[in-house]
Amino acid sequence: MRVLVVDDIEANRRELSRLLRAAGHRSVEAANGRDALRRIQAYEADVVLLDLLMPDMDGFEATRRLRATRQGAWLPVVVMSSLEGAAHFVRAIEDGADDYLVKPIDPKLLDAKLRNIGQILELQSRLAALAAHNRELFDHVEDAVLTLDAGLRIRDANAAGLELLGCAELPGEGMPLDALMSRELAVLLSAPETAGASHDLVLYRQGRDPFDAEVRVTRWRDDAPGRISLVIRDLTERRHLERLKDEFLSTVSHELRTPLTSVMGAMSLLASGAAGQLPPPAQKLLDVACRNGERLGRLIDDVLDVTKLEADRMALRPASHPLDSLLDEALAAHAGYARRLNVTLRRVGPPCGLAVWADTDRFLQIMANLLSNAVKHSPDGGTVELRCRLGVDHVRVSVRDHGPGIADEFRSRLFEKFSQASGENRRSGASTGLGLHITRILAQRMGGRIGLVSSPGHGAEFHVDVPICRDGAAPPALAACPPDVWIVDRDAAVRSRLTRLLAPDCAALAAREPGELARAGDAAPALLVADPVGAGASLDEVVRRLREAAGPAPILLYSDAVSAPQAAALGCDYLPKHDTGNDAFLRAARRAIRSDKGPGR
Amino acid sequence: MTSLRKILCAEDDPDIRLILEFSLAQIGGYELCMCEDGAVALDRIDAFEPDLVLLDVMMPGISGPQVMQALRKRPPLRHLPVVLMSARALPNEIEALLEHGATGVIVKPFDPVKLPENLKIYWEYARDRAAGSD
Repeated sequence: MRVLVVDDIEANRRELSRLLRAAGHRSVEAANGRDALRRIQAYEADVVLLDLLMPDMDGFEATRRLRATRQGAWLPVVVMSSLEGAAHFVRAIEDGADDYLVKPIDPKLLDAKLRNIGQILELQSRLAALAAHNRELFDHVEDAVLTLDAGLRIRDANAAGLELLGCAELPGEGMPLDALMSRELAVLLSAPETAGASHDLVLYRQGRDPFDAEVRVTRWRDDAPGRISLVIRDLTERRHLERLKDEFLSTVSHELRTPLTSVMGAMSLLASGAAGQLPPPAQKLLDVACRNGERLGRLIDDVLDVTKLEADRMALRPASHPLDSLLDEALAAHAGYARRLNVTLRRVGPPCGLAVWADTDRFLQIMANLLSNAVKHSPDGGTVELRCRLGVDHVRVSVRDHGPGIADEFRSRLFEKFSQASGENRRSGASTGLGLHITRILAQRMGGRIGLVSSPGHGAEFHVDVPICRDGAAPPALAACPPDVWIVDRDAAVRSRLTRLLAPDCAALAAREPGELARAGDAAPALLVADPVGAGASLDEVVRRLREAAGPAPILLYSDAVSAPQAAALGCDYLPKHDTGNDAFLRAARRAIRSDKGPGR
Repeated sequence: MTSLRKILCAEDDPDIRLILEFSLAQIGGYELCMCEDGAVALDRIDAFEPDLVLLDVMMPGISGPQVMQALRKRPPLRHLPVVLMSARALPNEIEALLEHGATGVIVKPFDPVKLPENLKIYWEYARDRAAGSD
């Protein structure tokens, strides 16, 4: 260790230095307090041995001033004195000294005390390195990490957090959370147990657009009760990428189908004899090409479906439909296919006579998958049976074949992507391996479920449970909400939030300008939700344009730039944006739609 | 009009044009006016006087829906059956085209062997509806 020896008696200094050198330490000597202060500037002493009695300044003051040169870092000071009694040592330690030695100094005791101080210094430097390392990691985390005190003031932030708050460092007294506060965040923080799970919220920053964020809350327990850490992930980029992906997929789909149209068209024409009769071997090869072209087409459809369904971005339009006619339609659609493979399709049992809650196209897609699978796996001359059984709140539609059944080891993977049983019966054209996966997600999205009863060697029975629809109303909560809601807002985050909010029960269509919706050419909506901010025209003019686009639909002004009386004067519903949570928005939307369905319409 | 005889067709992809020629002229036996884009279709329609128009949706310049809109604005052509071909098969996109006034939508890839019959069904549907509205 490097030791600064401070004593006004030169012989004492010398003797002490000799002892220190003998014990393997290095030392520098100072003759008085002022001298010590001068030397400590240049010499990085680990510890100071300080005589309490000196002519210029006493050891108490010297301790304080030496300490002050180290700004927070610990400089151990051991005071020395030959005075009788403990009182002056007690005072020295109260004034900041760390330890004491009685003169004449016992070399063994000196050595032991220095070793002890050395150990503490070592631990301190390891802690400091660890803290610096953690801080560095903390600042490299891309998510903003904020720590709040019990009064919800921000007391600590990593680099991303400071960037989010728009400041270089936090003020000493912390910063109020208001800058990021949204009603949803306040609700989240006031809930007693919100730890662990992530929450999707919209957060606000002064002077900037609101943004979609994923927030995780951790409550500190033992050492600092009331403290809360927030991990905030800005989802703006992710939303942007999702949109790009959608556009990309749509384009890819188009680009793949166009050449496929030529390939399939040319093969179909060849097979039909439009270009002359083909010799039988050529016909056989052409069959192979046709079959696989069709499979490629199905794969393109399926991959798109899977991508949309998995990202929860396929708009389903469920409504009340009589189940019997849906099933008749599904059976009719597969009669030809079954006949070609010499399989009989049969409806077993009486008609069920009930209405179910389903999206027609997607329900037929589910049935198509189950029926074509069953036919495909049936033996020549086999039968496929379709049956309905009534449950408490659902109808179970089951499709049974008498093929080889599903092997136990394959059953767990059956509904996964690209799953195909080995040795699958391929007499009818290979499948894409996506059908059952899509079928399951579709059934779930319609509030139903799908399952399987099978024993190898005795055929397979797949079933889908569809929710029963009573009184023509939707089984889920948004009973009165009809399908089409248009959203006009210049803020993409608001558009995506509202679209997501409405998604389970309404088909939401969102745009920046009313004009874009009119051009989309869809039928008039049941409700138009709009924020007139930033449209560059008077409120009356904006509402006029909205009316032009929306026709007779009620308009809900969801905005902070409009007052309730203004909205009322224009005949619009009104909801302030800043003060409205998801539930309140859905309630207002439902109310607006319902009031419009009253008498006179 | 007692039967579907003359079809005007606009498609920018030359390979698909060849398929359509085989399908509509050779298999269907229709008299065909084949155009390589929307502008050409609008140029030729008056002279050709088709019974039905078959248009690709995505074409450079004037798109299929734009051609259809132009036709709908001309009184003598208001009831002319217009069938659109689209490689985008999303249900809401198809619905939007029908809302726009298309008689029918053919999703690509289509089967050229069945296309003539399908167009005949669309033509009959449009004829019956026009008769009903008169």
